[in-house]
Amino acid sequence: MKIVITGGMHEADFIIKMLKEEHHQLIVINQDKEFAEYISTNNDIAVFPGDPTKAYVLSDAEADNADVLLALSDSDTDNYITCITAKKQFNIKRTVSKVKNPKNVELFKKLGVDSVISSTYLLAQTILNESSVENIIKTLSIEDEKIVMIEMGVEENFMLVNKRIMDINFPKNINISCIFRDPHVIIPKGDTAIKSGDKLIIISTPNEQEEITKFIKKKR
Amino acid sequence: MKRNKFIVVGSGRLGSNIATQMSELGEDVIIVDATEDSFRKLKESFSGYQLVGDATDLSVLEDSYIKHAKTVVITTDSDNVNIFLAHICYYIYNVPKIYVRLADTDKGGLLEGTYIKAIYPFTLSLKEFITLNKEEATK
Repeated sequence: MKIVITGGMHEADFIIKMLKEEHHQLIVINQDKEFAEYISTNNDIAVFPGDPTKAYVLSDAEADNADVLLALSDSDTDNYITCITAKKQFNIKRTVSKVKNPKNVELFKKLGVDSVISSTYLLAQTILNESSVENIIKTLSIEDEKIVMIEMGVEENFMLVNKRIMDINFPKNINISCIFRDPHVIIPKGDTAIKSGDKLIIISTPNEQEEITKFIKKKR
Repeated sequence: MKRNKFIVVGSGRLGSNIATQMSELGEDVIIVDATEDSFRKLKESFSGYQLVGDATDLSVLEDSYIKHAKTVVITTDSDNVNIFLAHICYYIYNVPKIYVRLADTDKGGLLEGTYIKAIYPFTLSLKEFITLNKEEATK
C-alpha cells in the first residue's frame, strides 16, 4: 500500500517503523525540521520537510493516489485541512486524522474524514465498555448510548442461582436476551433457570444499568 | 427557525470593520474572537454582541447563534482555520451566505462545489496595483 504520514512526533516515528516492516510504500511529510531529520536517520527513509496543509507540498511529495493518509499533527484544524486536501485534490482513498479535542471525532467524520482517532475519546470508550472496576461486568452501548448491552457472570452465591426467570422479580426495563452456558447458547424463556457459571447478556437502558447490575449481584 | 444573525469570526482589522459597518446598517451582528483584546478594534458605533472563544470549538460556535445565522464572515488570521470553519458552517449548519478571507489563493480549491465565497487580499491588491499602474501610464 502507498501510505502518506504527515506531522506527529513519536507516534509518527512508531507508526513509520511498524509500517516499514510490512514493506509498505511510505511517504513521510513533517514540518518540524529537526524531527524530520531524526525520523529520516532513525528509520532510513526520506522525509519531506514542509507544511502538509499546502497542496504543493503534497504534490512535491508525490502523495497523489495514495491508499491511505495519516494526519498526526498536534493541530486538529491542520489535520482536517490535510485530510480534505488529500481527498479533494489528490485522490487519496482513505484519510485518517488524529484529534486532540474529542468533540471533533464526530464532526470530522461528518465533514468527510474517513477515520478520526482521539486518545481521550478512545479512553472514555474503553472505560465505558469495560467497566474496569468489576471485571465480571462488561457493557457495550448501542444506538448513541440509548441502549446498553451488559454481560455479567453469575457466581454461585448469587440470589438468582437455580431460580426460573419467571419467578424472579426483576427491576423494570430489563431483558435477559441470551444466556451463555458453555458451550451452549440459550435464548431464555420464562421457565429457564439461571445456573451458577452462566454468562447473562442483558439488554437495558443506561439509566437502569446500575440498578440491574446491583440486582443481579445480590447474594443469597 | 429564524435566520437573522450576522456573524463575524475573527476581530482583526477586516473583521472588526465589517462588524462595525454591518451593525451601522442595522444588522444583528455577533462577533467572535479568541482574545477579548481584539474587540478594541471595534468602533464606538458597533452595537452588536461580542463573544470570546475559539470558534473551532463547536460549543463556542453554537453560543454565537450559528443556527440562526443568515450570513457568516470568517476572517481569522489562519487560512486553515477559516476553511475549517467555512466547511462547518456550510455542511453542518447550512448557513445561507458564507464569506471567507484567504491569504493563500491555492486554498480556494477546497471551496469548490460549494457556494462559499472567498475574498483574496492578494488578488485584490494585485488588481489594484495593475489599475494604479495603468493610470500612471496614461498620465
